[in-house]
Amino acid sequence: MSADGGAESLLDEDSARTPAPRALPRQAVVTVERLTKRYGEIVAVDDISFSLEAGTVTGFLGPNGAGKSTTLRVLLGLAEPTKGEALVFNQRYRELEQPFRRIGAVLESNDFDPGRSGRDHLRALAIAAEIPRSRVEEVLELVELAGDAHRKVRTYSLGMRQRLGLAAALLGDPELLVLDEPANGLDPVGVHWLRRFLRDFAGAGRTVLVSSHLLAEVAQAVDRVLIINSGRIVVAAPLDELTRGGQTLEEVYLDLITGSAS
Amino acid sequence: MSAALRAELFKQRSTRASLGLFATMIVLILFVVLLHGLGVDAGNFDTASKQISVLFGWGEFLAALFAGLLGAMSITGEIRHGTIRPTLLVNPRRQKVVLAKVWASMLIAIGFGLAAGAVAAGVGTVALESRGIDVLVGAGDYALLILGSAAAAALWAAIGVGIGSLVRNQVPALVGIVVWFLFVENLLVGDLAGVGELGRLLPAAAGKAISGQDPETLLAPGFALALLALYAVVAALVGARAASRRDVA
Repeated sequence: MSADGGAESLLDEDSARTPAPRALPRQAVVTVERLTKRYGEIVAVDDISFSLEAGTVTGFLGPNGAGKSTTLRVLLGLAEPTKGEALVFNQRYRELEQPFRRIGAVLESNDFDPGRSGRDHLRALAIAAEIPRSRVEEVLELVELAGDAHRKVRTYSLGMRQRLGLAAALLGDPELLVLDEPANGLDPVGVHWLRRFLRDFAGAGRTVLVSSHLLAEVAQAVDRVLIINSGRIVVAAPLDELTRGGQTLEEVYLDLITGSAS
Repeated sequence: MSAALRAELFKQRSTRASLGLFATMIVLILFVVLLHGLGVDAGNFDTASKQISVLFGWGEFLAALFAGLLGAMSITGEIRHGTIRPTLLVNPRRQKVVLAKVWASMLIAIGFGLAAGAVAAGVGTVALESRGIDVLVGAGDYALLILGSAAAAALWAAIGVGIGSLVRNQVPALVGIVVWFLFVENLLVGDLAGVGELGRLLPAAAGKAISGQDPETLLAPGFALALLALYAVVAALVGARAASRRDVA
């Protein structure tokens, strides 16, 4: 991942982005208010606040261990906040009716039973969410896994697993997509596919929160950036504002993360 | 039937894990019943009660053990493979997820118990008859063996889900259940620990009692059924509560 690559991707993004002015007032899809999460002595997330508006793609960036995954787990009801609140559509995830129809999420790239087929993985979730079986075939087509869906997940490549996870997140046709490190371990074709996918998804007016420590991979697909370091938000701004001075996202990031230390 | 329960049943039948457990259980029953039926001295089979305790009861014992493993695996397997995350994203009401696992495991365990009881009774009978030993077990005893085996297995499946939800880590949960069945309770039944008759109040002993084994030492079947049901309810509720209070990594 070079600085040059980053610069190119920003250019691509500028030319490829379609203007999508929306007359509707923007609704807060995600509201995180003074959220703190401690594990014993360790403060994983330290009093952070941010919100996401509908129709945006936000890159949630930061080094490993910065608190990205912890924030997403609290947001999605898998972990309890120590203090503060993380709301989706103005409610705690665990209190939403049928959250799977509004929010799709992929937290780990390998959350599958290796002895179950890709299709059956999706069917189990669809049954639980009362989503019709035909939708399983639709999302399999969408992520280009229909031909391999009968195979057990243990035979899948990492890229196929990433796409199967994405298919599961899309089952409920959600308005908000939350992806934790979706580009990890993807080959260039996979990364390209993912970028195109995120752009299409957000182009339809829906919202994406995508965490990553791979900057070049996300730079081309996001319009807002949240940078977290040591459990604190250090930047929350539109991407073009950050890179206005001619800096690439990577340069801005490195300044913020390592600049204070050096 | 709730969506959560249908999903749990689908999960159980979309991998070979439960089929593998079932097959292992049946093979073990054949092995142990044939070994005892053909090998144990005929003097140990001179009453109906002895025939049940020494021979036919193995069906219930192994059904209860494997049902406990099945129940524990239904949750520890999801934690091990990470599918617990998508499962809870679909249904963030964790008590409901755990209780759906309890019901699904109980339903499947009834099948385990009926098959185990029937195979043990059938093969045991053939083994005794092949040696010319009179089978003293009556129709009522057979019915109690098979139905009791199903009831004990169903209740042990619920206990297994509870243990799995509490322990979470698959290997210690499964090893714990096996060690309890094969070792710990055997030590405590009888007066070895100086606790008198308390051993018969333990859950594996209660399972044996439900199917009519060893009535001189163990509880009456009806009382044992109520006691094991109490264990099952407590385990399921404790497991559901633990699951809803803890973070998922």
